[in-house]
Amino acid sequence: MSVATFLSDSVAVAENEFRQFRRNRSAILISLVVLPLFFTISLGAGRGAAGTTFSPTADIPIGFVDNDNSLASLRLWQALTSSPDFHNLIQSYNEQATIAELGTKRIYAVIVVPKDFQNDLENGNQAKLILYTDDSEPGVSDQIQSTLTSYVQNFDPNVEVQPHLSQVQRQSVAGVGIVAKGAVFAGFNIGLTAVLAIVQIFAAFYEIAGGISREREDGTYARLLVSPIPTGSIVLGKTLFDILLCIIRTFTVLGISVYGYGARPSTDLFTLLALSLIVALVTMGIGFVAASLKLGQRAVVIIEFFLILFLFAFSGLIIDINLLVGITQVIGNLLPFTYAFDALKRTILLGRPLLSLTFDLEYLIGSILASYGIALVLLHVSRERLIT
Amino acid sequence: MPEEAITTKALTKTFGHFTAVDGLNVGVNKGELFGLLGPNGAGKTTIVRMLCTLIEPTRGTANVVGYDIREQAAEVRRQIGVVSEGVSLYKDLTIEENLKLLSTLYEIPRPKAEARIRELMDMFAFREKASRLVGALSSGWAKKAMICAALLHSPQVLFLDEVTSGLDPQSAIALQDFTRKQCDLGVTVIWTTHYMGEPEKICDRVGIMFAGRLVQVGTPNELKHSVSELAMVEVETPDLSKVQLDRVKLKLKAMNHVCNVKYVHSKLQVSCERTDTLAEEVAAALFDVGARIRAISTKDPTLEEAFIALTGGEEEIDRFLESSG
Repeated sequence: MSVATFLSDSVAVAENEFRQFRRNRSAILISLVVLPLFFTISLGAGRGAAGTTFSPTADIPIGFVDNDNSLASLRLWQALTSSPDFHNLIQSYNEQATIAELGTKRIYAVIVVPKDFQNDLENGNQAKLILYTDDSEPGVSDQIQSTLTSYVQNFDPNVEVQPHLSQVQRQSVAGVGIVAKGAVFAGFNIGLTAVLAIVQIFAAFYEIAGGISREREDGTYARLLVSPIPTGSIVLGKTLFDILLCIIRTFTVLGISVYGYGARPSTDLFTLLALSLIVALVTMGIGFVAASLKLGQRAVVIIEFFLILFLFAFSGLIIDINLLVGITQVIGNLLPFTYAFDALKRTILLGRPLLSLTFDLEYLIGSILASYGIALVLLHVSRERLIT
Repeated sequence: MPEEAITTKALTKTFGHFTAVDGLNVGVNKGELFGLLGPNGAGKTTIVRMLCTLIEPTRGTANVVGYDIREQAAEVRRQIGVVSEGVSLYKDLTIEENLKLLSTLYEIPRPKAEARIRELMDMFAFREKASRLVGALSSGWAKKAMICAALLHSPQVLFLDEVTSGLDPQSAIALQDFTRKQCDLGVTVIWTTHYMGEPEKICDRVGIMFAGRLVQVGTPNELKHSVSELAMVEVETPDLSKVQLDRVKLKLKAMNHVCNVKYVHSKLQVSCERTDTLAEEVAAALFDVGARIRAISTKDPTLEEAFIALTGGEEEIDRFLESSG
């Protein structure tokens, strides 16, 4: 069979998918409207709606001890408390007693303004701020230090933060991992990383695995198998059509995130589209593997439920993968979605160029090739099972 | 000697411990309408699926228009058309859209495909329904659409698997006539059915399938004559009670030459080896249990009776149907 025939068959399958899709109102609604809207709006509403700025340090309780009692230290207090990064500053008067609170989880850091803070500023000397932190939650110390440093630089370039880390017993199970140390994320950026991946994974898996399951039950898959079309063309055709849906979904999610929830991704549209497609292709590959197992529609939905559960639990979406233990960390490290989330965070939140994410990209492209390879072999081997 | 379109050698298919088709050896001539007759579960559909390359044989080989079904599956698929349970058209597409998709997959050049689609639409009077979705068609029209699809690429072999099931009698007859015409045009047709009357009417030759084995092959007449030592007596005997019927059956089955006894619509049908005294013996058995006789006649076996005789009698068939679920 020539490449031209192979491609022509693939395009015919893709066109066929499109013709069916445009007549299926519920599929259009679910795939292109309900799913993107549901996840974007759910997470968007949870993050505090449009125009808000999310800061990972905003709600962390931090002690503030003013040993200078000067106008400069008062201004610093006012500036910090009115900033979006330090909503939970607690004023204290006893430095030693406040530092002793570290590690108790009542406060996670203490900012101490030393005597002569104002004098140093007035004389053009380096004015020091002492930051005591514990490490009871991984990443929190670095996060607070980084945010405070960048903030006081804006307050006065002569202010220097001097960190002091108190080692305390780290909790074995921590809460939310800090996604990118030292970064302050505007608007809905964090939500966008999650929504982009979740929506593509949710939709692409069902469209592929559920689509083939439906074709198998309707007898149209057997119709294709008695024609001269190779399995590869069926797979490529369905993939091509799903790529189109993936692009539409990406634009929908981006549109709502940017215009509805103030997301300002630190990357370009091409990178966002490319990463969305990569996430969708990994999922499609897994969908084809699932389809080769002769699953019914109900089984596809159940598997999708577990897939999403795995996604939330082990892929670093909510819990930092380094905090997972034993087998869960192994699963997390193997899941391609872990690398997809990592790539999305690094590009959307930190503005890293796509091509600098070598390992993430290699792992994801390897996963796509592996899943499609396995799917093609399984679809060929289980050809008989799929029609009987 | 006519050229064979399909040749199978010891073609066997097993599913686990169950043997669906057991060592099939058959040759089907080009342009022949070959019927595969057998009850559900006899292995007819499995044969069709193997010959269509949908499933692989466990053992044995088969050639379809000269191509090996294992080694040259793609070539086989180009030469065949299939209408079978479980092989359908897209319900969300119109007939025309379905045919256009298939014309691409069969690599029919666009102008030729368009002409062929028009021809088939006219042949099946589909013009008015061209824009209707296949899912909105009645079962008869949907089946016609599937035959259209199977004929689109002018296949050399057409597999029609239980194609009349679910059709009204008129549509079934029209379909039989159409199939006959296709054979006259040189298309080889494999027609599987469990309706005993169909192959007798239209098939050139019939293969009787039972429990995965091809029991006998021949023209309908040959098959009937192969059991010509059989004769059937039909007695119209109204108001025969169950007790009387059981006693008559016992009496008749005690006779060595009686094969089968059936009571349907007040008629007692007894098939047995041909003897000159059969009618008298049956009448005597009925009189013995006090039954009334309104009419009595003898007749030659039908294909159905030949089938029953060749597959070991009704009890054997009942046992098979029970075991095959």
